[in-house]
Amino acid sequence: MDLDLLVGALTAGSLYALVAMGFNILYRPTNVFNFAQGDLVMLGAMFGATFITLLGLPWFVGAALAMLAVAALALVEEKIAVAPVLKNSASSHGWVITTLAVSMIFANLVGLGWGPDPIAVRPPAPLSTDTFELFGANISSYQIAVMVITVVLVLGVEAFYGTRSGKAVLAVAEDRDAALLRGINPNRLSSWSFFLGGGVAALTGVLAAPVLYASTGLGPSLLLKGFAAAAVGGIGNNRGALLAGYIIGLVEAVAAALLSPGYQLAATFAVMLAILLVRPHGLFGRAEARAV
Amino acid sequence: MGDAARALIGSPRTRPALLFALALALYLAPFAVGTEYRLFIATQMAAYVLVAIGLNLLNGYGGQVSLGHGALVAIGAYTVALAMVDHQWSFWPATLLAMVAAAAVGAVMALPAFRLSTWYFALITLGFAEVVGGLLTEWRELTHGFAGVVGIPKPGVLGHTLTSFDLYWLALSLNILALLGMANLLRSRFGRALVAVRDNPVAATAAGVALVRIKMMAFVVSAAMAGLAGALFAVQKTVVTPDDFTADFSIFFLLMVVLGGAGRLWGPVVGAVVFFLVPELLTALQSWRMLIYGVALLLLMLYAPHGLVGAIETGWKRLRTRLGLSNIPPAPSTAIARETVHPIAGAALSVRDVEKRFGGVSALAGVSLDVAAGTTHAIVGPNGSGKTTLLNMISGFYPIDGGAILIDGRSVVGMAPHRIARSGVGRTFQTPRMLPQLSVLDNALLGAFPAERQGAAAAALSLPRARREQMASLGDALRYLDFVGLADRAMEPAGELPHGQQRLAEIARALVGRPRLLLLDEPAAGLSLAELDRLGELIAAIGALGTTVVIVEHHLELVANICRSVTVLERGAVLASGTPAEVFSHEEVIAAYMGSHSSVGQAAS
Repeated sequence: MDLDLLVGALTAGSLYALVAMGFNILYRPTNVFNFAQGDLVMLGAMFGATFITLLGLPWFVGAALAMLAVAALALVEEKIAVAPVLKNSASSHGWVITTLAVSMIFANLVGLGWGPDPIAVRPPAPLSTDTFELFGANISSYQIAVMVITVVLVLGVEAFYGTRSGKAVLAVAEDRDAALLRGINPNRLSSWSFFLGGGVAALTGVLAAPVLYASTGLGPSLLLKGFAAAAVGGIGNNRGALLAGYIIGLVEAVAAALLSPGYQLAATFAVMLAILLVRPHGLFGRAEARAV
Repeated sequence: MGDAARALIGSPRTRPALLFALALALYLAPFAVGTEYRLFIATQMAAYVLVAIGLNLLNGYGGQVSLGHGALVAIGAYTVALAMVDHQWSFWPATLLAMVAAAAVGAVMALPAFRLSTWYFALITLGFAEVVGGLLTEWRELTHGFAGVVGIPKPGVLGHTLTSFDLYWLALSLNILALLGMANLLRSRFGRALVAVRDNPVAATAAGVALVRIKMMAFVVSAAMAGLAGALFAVQKTVVTPDDFTADFSIFFLLMVVLGGAGRLWGPVVGAVVFFLVPELLTALQSWRMLIYGVALLLLMLYAPHGLVGAIETGWKRLRTRLGLSNIPPAPSTAIARETVHPIAGAALSVRDVEKRFGGVSALAGVSLDVAAGTTHAIVGPNGSGKTTLLNMISGFYPIDGGAILIDGRSVVGMAPHRIARSGVGRTFQTPRMLPQLSVLDNALLGAFPAERQGAAAAALSLPRARREQMASLGDALRYLDFVGLADRAMEPAGELPHGQQRLAEIARALVGRPRLLLLDEPAAGLSLAELDRLGELIAAIGALGTTVVIVEHHLELVANICRSVTVLERGAVLASGTPAEVFSHEEVIAAYMGSHSSVGQAAS
């Protein structure tokens, strides 16, 4: 197998895993799957591009500002589109349509504000997108950094769920009312998780920008691939999402190489459906037992 | 004037007369105002209405958000276009193929999603729309790529080629048929089951509804309608290109349904009409269009979840109230006399060493109990002793970790809960699982779902045998509502009943399924003293029908009065079992249940 292809697959797969982790951070305490998550990632890339490329701020400052801006927007989303729906009925799925509506609003506002042209973003020094040869594959220092940062982030977030605050998040996911009785405020947790989920989305966007460019087109494509990684990995399972992200990245790369780039999405979609047909809760997920 | 208005608005004949007049006007309209352009627009609108009616079945009633109906229309349109242009098929068989193709491709896509949570379906359909959109340009050998398919001929009938007038009439007729069929389908067991799947899947399962099957039925119907609309779309436009079917196209149908009124029969029609009445506004704001759609979707979902039709309904009800007319429809009259309910052959229940663990916690550790056919048995015990868990295992809602459960000697271990329900196990829940928007009668009728045999086609066409079956179920439901004492509230929305009466209605729903084994989970919780007496009489009456009753209850007096045998659970194990008198004088039971100072016997006497 072509090793260059593997490098591209793992880089893309890392980004998909990060998108999936953003979904999971939000999903765990709220049981809400944010349809605007792809657009939050896109917003992160656009803000990052604006601060870093257009305004010339240092990379870390630009990235931090982008994360703050997108986290604030995610919080606004939670306040106007999610909390009112969950207040009416915690089991209602009205948020599917309201978060989709928010996604349309974000995507079109960005389209009106920034225009359709993609913006190039340089990686932070000393990293570079220039490739060199390593074990027979062409790879750039930035690609290595993306892969390493992803693994570190996934392990870090998983470690957080082992702490006391992390367990509170999981308790709310399990039973909102019971958590309330133990002094956990689910509404505050839900706001916090949108804020953090927005921050992770923005970081994903900033990281993706040097590889994929910053453009409005990022939203829908990352929404679907991030979902594929989350679903195949098992919703809520970040380590699963990481492996699933690699799988999706590989399927894509192989489909592009064997068929044509136009068939990438179709191939990813077919593989995801096949996996869900055999294992409905993903490769590493488990069924939620409580129904009654 | 008030009297005249009251007579007009109150008359049951006003609506059909108005609808007939409307249909007639639409059929005759082309003679008066028909220009080629207007007919083109009207036919296109009719095709869209067809898609929206189908989507409303799935989304409005079934609660499944599809973001891929535009892609299903594309499959229908391309199937007809390619069959007619590349393979010289005639329109009619090509249309049939289009419907089958849209339904089949859609079903393959939807199958994995329906086994999971609602939002999986929304995302998978969204992905499906993207994939189909991509393939339309990419798969050039089949679809002709960017150029699309041109020169699609007009349909013909017996050598006569349909004019734009004919196409309009065809599309209009299809709309009317679709609405009639949909109204019939929604009135049948399928409509109730779909609403149950949307509002209370647990109640649907307990009534014997197979969730995945019913969702799939709704999806296949709505996909076939999208395929049919695609066929109309193709011959009307005479050319189809990938640009006709962008990702926004699917969102557009969803907005149509939400704007008009999701879960309202006329919602999609009203939504489509409004969309076609404001096209000028939207062309002027072309670049703002999707932004406006997004804002509209958000505001509608938050402030008008039942859309324009929902708002009109609210206003209509207010008008009727002001005129002194009741908003509760009269109960249907059935030809079947309110005969007494038939006896039921009860089933014996045998639970052997059943174990259940949640994570590391053992909820049931080897519980056994036997209930003879036709008797009433109580399970009592402190909170957390595993009573409800045991009911959930018997009815199949929780998988079993060890042991055996036999109903009339047949093992039910591993059976899906809706199958156990169908085999004659009815149940109620600690908090009544009602469908609050449906009437009490419709809630009770949900219990008749497994007993009815009619298919979706027979129901949509309202065939005589389907109607006969529906009348029989109606008679049953009214009879059991009478049996539990709710006959006079049958037509009220179930959500407006007080808690105690919702419990009774839930029992009536279980009885309509004629259960051989009935599981009642704390039926007396929160009842007043008078209601409690009535409940005792009711359970005794149910026992007298022959049904085996297993009741989880804290109220020991009730248990002592109506049960032949009792099992006491503590911390997931059987503490004692026997007749109420034996069990309630058992020392350990007294200690566990009441503290050692008082006697359960006194409380129960």
